[in-house]
Amino acid sequence: MSEATHFDAARQARRITEQAAAWYLEQQEPLTERQRVAFLEWLRASPQHVAEYFAIAQMHGDLKAAAALQTQSVAALTERARRDNPVVLFPHMENVLPRERGAHPPRRRRALAAWAATAVVLAAIGLGVVRLPGHSEKTVQATMHGAVGNDAAVHTMKLADGTLVQLDRNSVIDVHFDQHYRRINVVRGNVLFDIGKDPARPMLVNVGGHVLQDIGTVFDVKRDAQGDTLTVISGRVRVLKAPDPSVNAGDVVLAKDAVADLTAGQQIELNAAGASAVHAVKIARATAWLPADIRFQRETVSDVARRFNAYTSKPLLIQSASIGDKRISGIFHANNPQAFVAYLATLPGVTVINDTDCIRIVASAAQADTKAGHL
Amino acid sequence: MREKHGAWSALFAEKSAMLSNYFLRRVAHRWDAQDLVQEVYLRLLRIEPADAANIRSPEAYLFTVAANLVKEHAVLRQQQPLGSDELDQVVEQLVAPTNLEADMDSQSRQQRLGALIDRLSPKCKAVLIMHYRDEMSYREIAERMSISTHMVKKYIVKGLAACRQRMADYE
Repeated sequence: MSEATHFDAARQARRITEQAAAWYLEQQEPLTERQRVAFLEWLRASPQHVAEYFAIAQMHGDLKAAAALQTQSVAALTERARRDNPVVLFPHMENVLPRERGAHPPRRRRALAAWAATAVVLAAIGLGVVRLPGHSEKTVQATMHGAVGNDAAVHTMKLADGTLVQLDRNSVIDVHFDQHYRRINVVRGNVLFDIGKDPARPMLVNVGGHVLQDIGTVFDVKRDAQGDTLTVISGRVRVLKAPDPSVNAGDVVLAKDAVADLTAGQQIELNAAGASAVHAVKIARATAWLPADIRFQRETVSDVARRFNAYTSKPLLIQSASIGDKRISGIFHANNPQAFVAYLATLPGVTVINDTDCIRIVASAAQADTKAGHL
Repeated sequence: MREKHGAWSALFAEKSAMLSNYFLRRVAHRWDAQDLVQEVYLRLLRIEPADAANIRSPEAYLFTVAANLVKEHAVLRQQQPLGSDELDQVVEQLVAPTNLEADMDSQSRQQRLGALIDRLSPKCKAVLIMHYRDEMSYREIAERMSISTHMVKKYIVKGLAACRQRMADYE
């Protein structure tokens, strides 16, 4: 399960800001060749780095003016700073230090306690992928809740089969996996699915009176008072009429019950009365509830690529295990997978192949030909 | 010390209030700012490894790319070519319609920033003011504060970052 929390995001943003500030100060002396290379590398690692560098340059200009408003003399400032020393360090006072240090940590401990509480909540969500005793190891059963109330985060979860689920606020799903089927019941809210591959166990997503049968794909389900809406981001989804609950649910996958087949960029509205006609839709509208940024810290290229795939009908396919397992950090705009692809293309040994319906990332056959299919 | 900074950088920093008013700040133009950053980023990625080693100042390169993009953007918006390649002129063009607004905006921003400086730790605050207001060198500040020049740098980074983060919270 991967979960980007506010805490992590804030800490990451803070670190990037400090890096930008440090690089900005470095420019006051001519950079060595090594520093030049490192600085360029840093800029190229994420658009967020570029944005932050501009912001620091701007802040630098403002600070000059803002500092000029300060009236204290240098002497007064240094005196005030000196008095701020919590402990005057004399060699024979060393034994005082631990107690003095002890005076500060409560704050840190409180922060830790808050963090621990968050971790408990996460663990509770994580229960979804815990294998329950007494069941075969492929059996999973759990109810998952999105954030409640004003907590703005969209929860991202990875299930045991590799399925990636993004839950909007106040959304609820029931997950039931057994040896034959993977079933998810969308109780309410807005959920985005990126279905993991498991040919032996079809994925069936139940939405009200309909079952969505998936064939390796990304799609968005929205349930609200107006009814149910299904939007396919990439791949194909078949909509079936849900069988009578009294009938053995093992036989649900019947092609003759098909209501509709949807492909990338198509949408259908479903309610008790029936189904609307399948129509084309702008994917950006269906996914507007997802975060505008994709943030990742030491996540694998494969996982990051899948997060971009929630926003585009031209998915990124990482077809090299060694590239897919590489861990990377960065922040990109979710609506700009091209920037991420361009970044991947700069990694050594990576070739980008731009097909009509997908973008394939493969290992370079020979180092000489790294530019084939380059953006 | 600031003279050693790339000319573009200095110009960018000076004009940033106006530039940012145009493409970094106003909500209506938020997408322009993001587009600009994305476009700058993509151009950085397009640099061939062999050429990367030859870029004497990556920072000057960065700001030149940004300035050129702002210029192109202005041309698109106003549908008329600019007379010169100078960033000055670009900035002039960008700022002309909303000059007053830009001034007011930067003034209130500097006041907010002043309040943020007051909230820094006394050491951080002292170092930052000596650096920005009194333009003292790292060595001079280090001597006044009885700390190393390395620590002076660290305080400036901390101060810059803290102000930047808290200002971002306002936006």
